[in-house]
Amino acid sequence: MHSYNTISWHQSTPEIEGMVTPSRVHSRVYTDERIFQLEIERIFGRAWVYVGHHSEVPNPGDFKTRVIGRTPVIMVRGKDRVVRVLVNRCRHRGAQVCETESGNTKVFRCWYHGWIYNIDGSLAEVTSPAAYETPLDPQDMGLSAVPRVDHYRGFVFGSLTSTGEDLVTHLGGAAPMIDLLCDASPTGQIFVDGGSHKTVFNANWKLVGMDGYHPNVLHASVVAAWSRNPDGGLGSTHRESPFVDEAATRTRDFGHGHVMLDFRDHRIKHYDSLTAYLRKIAGGEQYIANMHAKYGESRARLLISLAGDAHLGTFPNMQLIHNQVRIITPISAGKTEVMMTAVRLDGVSDALNTERFRQQESFYGPSGAGSPDDAEIFERVQRGLVAEVNPWVEISRGMGRQKVDVDGSIVGLITDEVTQRGIMRYWKQLMTVA
Amino acid sequence: MHTSTWSDLREVELFLFYEAELADRSAYTDWFGLWTQELLYCVPCNSDEIAPSRKIAIIYDDRPKLEERLYRLGTKFAHSQRPKSLLSRSITNIVLGEDYHPATGGSVTSRFVLAEVRNEEQRFWAGRSQHVLARENGRLLMKEKIVYLLANDLPLSNMTFII
Repeated sequence: MHSYNTISWHQSTPEIEGMVTPSRVHSRVYTDERIFQLEIERIFGRAWVYVGHHSEVPNPGDFKTRVIGRTPVIMVRGKDRVVRVLVNRCRHRGAQVCETESGNTKVFRCWYHGWIYNIDGSLAEVTSPAAYETPLDPQDMGLSAVPRVDHYRGFVFGSLTSTGEDLVTHLGGAAPMIDLLCDASPTGQIFVDGGSHKTVFNANWKLVGMDGYHPNVLHASVVAAWSRNPDGGLGSTHRESPFVDEAATRTRDFGHGHVMLDFRDHRIKHYDSLTAYLRKIAGGEQYIANMHAKYGESRARLLISLAGDAHLGTFPNMQLIHNQVRIITPISAGKTEVMMTAVRLDGVSDALNTERFRQQESFYGPSGAGSPDDAEIFERVQRGLVAEVNPWVEISRGMGRQKVDVDGSIVGLITDEVTQRGIMRYWKQLMTVA
Repeated sequence: MHTSTWSDLREVELFLFYEAELADRSAYTDWFGLWTQELLYCVPCNSDEIAPSRKIAIIYDDRPKLEERLYRLGTKFAHSQRPKSLLSRSITNIVLGEDYHPATGGSVTSRFVLAEVRNEEQRFWAGRSQHVLARENGRLLMKEKIVYLLANDLPLSNMTFII
């Protein structure tokens, strides 16, 4: 028996306006290939999309190839040390000029007709140029620059549209949450170069959300393992049950689709047991001292107990979870890739970074204890959503008890769907602009 | 240095085929019984380089981690393996290392192609394995198993069965 997980044959044109309300979402939003195409245009074609981190291209000539929506791009550090995001397409007849995912290069060379580009994108050389009566201008005919590129703490974002809010305004309240990861390092520096778990599953990209309601159920097998061994895997970061409404954990919506599972108030209560665990690791004692010296006692207590776990999603495609920077890449309405790159903290012992790598392996990636069950359930959701007898997805949980916090963010209890509502509200805002 | 004989090779082959059989059946407890006390079960990520203090791996298990992995898979809550994958792997190109001695064990390299059926699809996994075997109380056991997946730098589906 063959299951379906997308819809592409329905006759009526999708009408976005009626498909999202504050409390529910029409399942076509996840299953319709035409809505997916509109997302590529109106979201990935306009918004600030995360491309990569400065630390992934530390030296001149270093590059990574990524995508913004469907557009293949190259993030490359120039000889002037500027990090640029260029479109991976020869200006002549269109071949990709960079065919590996990462590396270091002096130039980008198109192997079709031999055109060469400098790593700042300008056109360096054209084979047999005499055939062009007017010589080709190196800037005009260079690799196209992504229209807007900016960064926050080294996180590089690009937009395929030249107008719109600047990055800092767009990030809004999410920006200080990015600091929670960077400042887990006593020098405020991270290296996003610890290797990447790459996964793919047959479900919609919008399902990869911040959800505090599911861990106790979906990840019951992992939660059970934590009680066998409280310092094993991610158990060492989660003390006492964080995923119940009695806990001090919260769901948070910063606007612009940025959402967070806020563990701060919960983890800081367990500062003593978390530091006891850190002290068992070589360099742990020194780490605690360095953090206090750099950030002062109050901020250091927060940063140490949170251990960099911002648990933040910046719309549309980046998530900072535990020790990873996650990129969500939509392939089709029913297929998504997720890449989880491990972070090394600057100024900490090898043993501490190593411990964080082992923690990531325990839960995340294709063989982890957590990610595969997430992927499995997303696929079950995707197959179920094709049924349209009653097509509404309920995201009303906790609507009656959410509040607006002093910083303007909307906040709910950990199992509430504040995060889903935040994402879909902004999704609708972008999707209803022609 | 010992020159390996056909009978040395055949014993190792039969061990690897038996390991494959248990892995195919997801017989976690029996498969765990093939390991020595100190063990390394490793699947490198992104390349064949193993650098545990600089990079994550897909799997990098010592005994406690492997025991927890198999414990979790044996619960009713390991949804990515409920139902379990149907598995059939072929182990080929089996070559004993120069360090191999029948009395003590040693290294062996091999290649595998694994067919996996789950969720209405048949998937293929392939690569090479490097085992270090040890002789204990007359039996061959695994001390180390490193699986160099051909696709370790591609986006992968769930790989929560024994690879």
